[in-house]
Amino acid sequence: MRKGLTIGTAVALVTGAAMWFATTVGAQGGGTVEVEVKYNGAPQVEKLKVNKDTEKCGTETTIEKVVVGGNKGLANAVASAPGAKGASKAKAVIDQHGCKFVPHVVVMQPGEIEIKNSDDILHNIHTYSTANPSINKAQPKFKKVMTEKLEKPEFVKVTCDVHSWMLGWVAVVPGVAAATDTNGVAKLENVPAGKQKIEVWHETLGKQEKEVDVKAGSVTKVSFEMKGK
Amino acid sequence: MRPTNGRRRAPIMAHLRRCLLAPPCGVGGLRRRRRSSAPRIWTILGALSRSWVVRLVICAWVAASLSLAADASDVFAQGDANAGKAIYARKCAGCHGEKGDGKGAAAELLVPKPRDFTKGLYKIRTTANKVPMDQDLFKIITDGMPGTSMPPWAVLPDKDRWNLVAYIKTFAPDAFKEAPKKLDLPKDVSSSETSLKRGKEMFEAIECHKCHGTEGRADGPSRPELKDEWGFPVAPANLTKRWTFRGGASRTDIATRLANGVLGTPMPAFLDSVEKPEDIWHLTNYIVSLGPERPRYATLITVSATKDALPDDPNAEFWKKATASAIPLMGQVIVDPRNFNPVIDLVTIRAAYNDTEVAFHLTWDDPSETKGDGKQTFPDAISLQFPPQITASTERPYFLMGDASEAVYLLRWQQGKGVGEASANGPAKIAPLQGGEVSGKVAYTNGQYRLVMKRPRIAKGEGRPTFQPAVFTPVAIQAWDGGAGESGTRMSLTSWYYLRLEEPQSNRRFVIPPVVAILTLAAMFLVVRAANRAR
Repeated sequence: MRKGLTIGTAVALVTGAAMWFATTVGAQGGGTVEVEVKYNGAPQVEKLKVNKDTEKCGTETTIEKVVVGGNKGLANAVASAPGAKGASKAKAVIDQHGCKFVPHVVVMQPGEIEIKNSDDILHNIHTYSTANPSINKAQPKFKKVMTEKLEKPEFVKVTCDVHSWMLGWVAVVPGVAAATDTNGVAKLENVPAGKQKIEVWHETLGKQEKEVDVKAGSVTKVSFEMKGK
Repeated sequence: MRPTNGRRRAPIMAHLRRCLLAPPCGVGGLRRRRRSSAPRIWTILGALSRSWVVRLVICAWVAASLSLAADASDVFAQGDANAGKAIYARKCAGCHGEKGDGKGAAAELLVPKPRDFTKGLYKIRTTANKVPMDQDLFKIITDGMPGTSMPPWAVLPDKDRWNLVAYIKTFAPDAFKEAPKKLDLPKDVSSSETSLKRGKEMFEAIECHKCHGTEGRADGPSRPELKDEWGFPVAPANLTKRWTFRGGASRTDIATRLANGVLGTPMPAFLDSVEKPEDIWHLTNYIVSLGPERPRYATLITVSATKDALPDDPNAEFWKKATASAIPLMGQVIVDPRNFNPVIDLVTIRAAYNDTEVAFHLTWDDPSETKGDGKQTFPDAISLQFPPQITASTERPYFLMGDASEAVYLLRWQQGKGVGEASANGPAKIAPLQGGEVSGKVAYTNGQYRLVMKRPRIAKGEGRPTFQPAVFTPVAIQAWDGGAGESGTRMSLTSWYYLRLEEPQSNRRFVIPPVVAILTLAAMFLVVRAANRAR
């Protein structure tokens, strides 16, 4: 009995200490940067008739080059704070679903990515990379998951040659990073306080960067406006 | 095979000799140490080093590691890039460009495009990573790339070809920083009924047909969209024509392409994407079973004699049994607009005749059945060309559809229009012939046309030949893949070939031999009887 009690107390103490430590670090070291990306131009979304695998791919699909949402927010852009270390190490996942890459842009730390095929037909993962070794691997219907390594920072274009309209991007970005949502907003959490460089990248509209002053424990807003090429 | 073997072996042999003949190294020193009460281990080592067995083992080890080192340094040691540069300028730059970017003067006429060496991406490699072995590059230079404009350069001395390998690598120094990693193929599985069955199963499971087509004739639904990494359209391989495989037609070649893909093209690597590693070999065996290793081209087309009716149906049993003659076709490059990259490279002819009719059965691969929009695509078509009169003279009309002075007769078929006849005085002057009682039927399945064209054996009307048995009759073929934009002078063609209607076989062959046999027997019987009587 006494032994159990001792262990219990120890666990409680350790957990408490850990929580305290975590909150202090969070509060002292980091703030949130809310990145808003806007685009003034027209969206570029091509519609396309599908003539094969229609039972899986549908009869019509879209090629999403520039997706503009509410309030001129630019979706599928990647915002990052390269100076912020210790981003989540969760394994990135890209799925081939309905003959589309889901999500359109995956943000990941250098490391491994899980490539899924939920379509029950043949796809091939074909990456166009320069820093990382390029990949062109078949993923037949029975190969539901493949794991690949992308260890160098790079924005990697991903295509499928079987379905030529399929296009996705894997943003291998060190530091804290996130893709913008349909309103063009990305939240970067746990960015260390002080002057930080914030970068924004978009597959067709290019790159921009700004410096922001991040305050610990609060939300700093920064806005970008991407220009058409 | 490798020219440097001799050179590399020499220093190793010298080293071995030194190793074996010289006194074991350091023996003296060890003896001194033993005297000065050195640790026991030295004593043992010293004793060991005097043993010839140990010396041999050490020498072998040193030699092996030296040869490994030599292998690794092949990349740098084999060719002289500077010497290669001069040869490149003379032999390669015309297509591949002075800067190695694939933009030589001839590049715009070529499909597929010449390799751009500046990316360091190579289709054919026996490695698990992107970097090809030097041997891979050497092999392509030596053997060329079937089905492309890259000819074999075996005419150049080995040394020149190695120098070229060294030179083309300098166009992409970064790509060759990484060492090539040899691809390990799964254990070979030889072909058998079970293996072929499994291969077909896998062929369907991994959906090879998406590009290569159900029967492998490069007619898959994704075919029209395929592009290489430079953005140029690229055609999938026709798996029934192994002799056009870019990296060779051997089983190992095919298994390697399947395992690590064809870099820079849509063909992905399948080594990790088959159910079991040995499936690579089952697939290989199945692909090999789809067509012959090389075509056996005919020199003379035989038109067989029959008393039966000649079936219109191209899929009739009659035609399956008929003798097939494979005829190669080339692009038309004499008059503008020229066809430098013809699609149809082979037509197989079967032919038969009876008293009243003659029929030609033609088979050719075309990845799409096209009626054409008249702008970018045109109707698929084919024609057989004959002189308007068959004479004993060796003079024939100009093979490219005749000329102003001498016409040719065309028995032709066009998608949407069917079979017809025409008279031509050159490719720009074609006049249809009416009322000739021609007929025929076409079938298109899985990337292949089968066509029967029939007409009266005896000419009905002017400008048409009569087909007589046992007469050498000039014939030529022209074909158009309208889906690839071929029409008019943009065609595939042959020069004059000959066909011959086989002589009808009479029934006498069934009568004369038995009669002769009976007479001989009777004569023998008489001789024997006469001899018996004389005794």
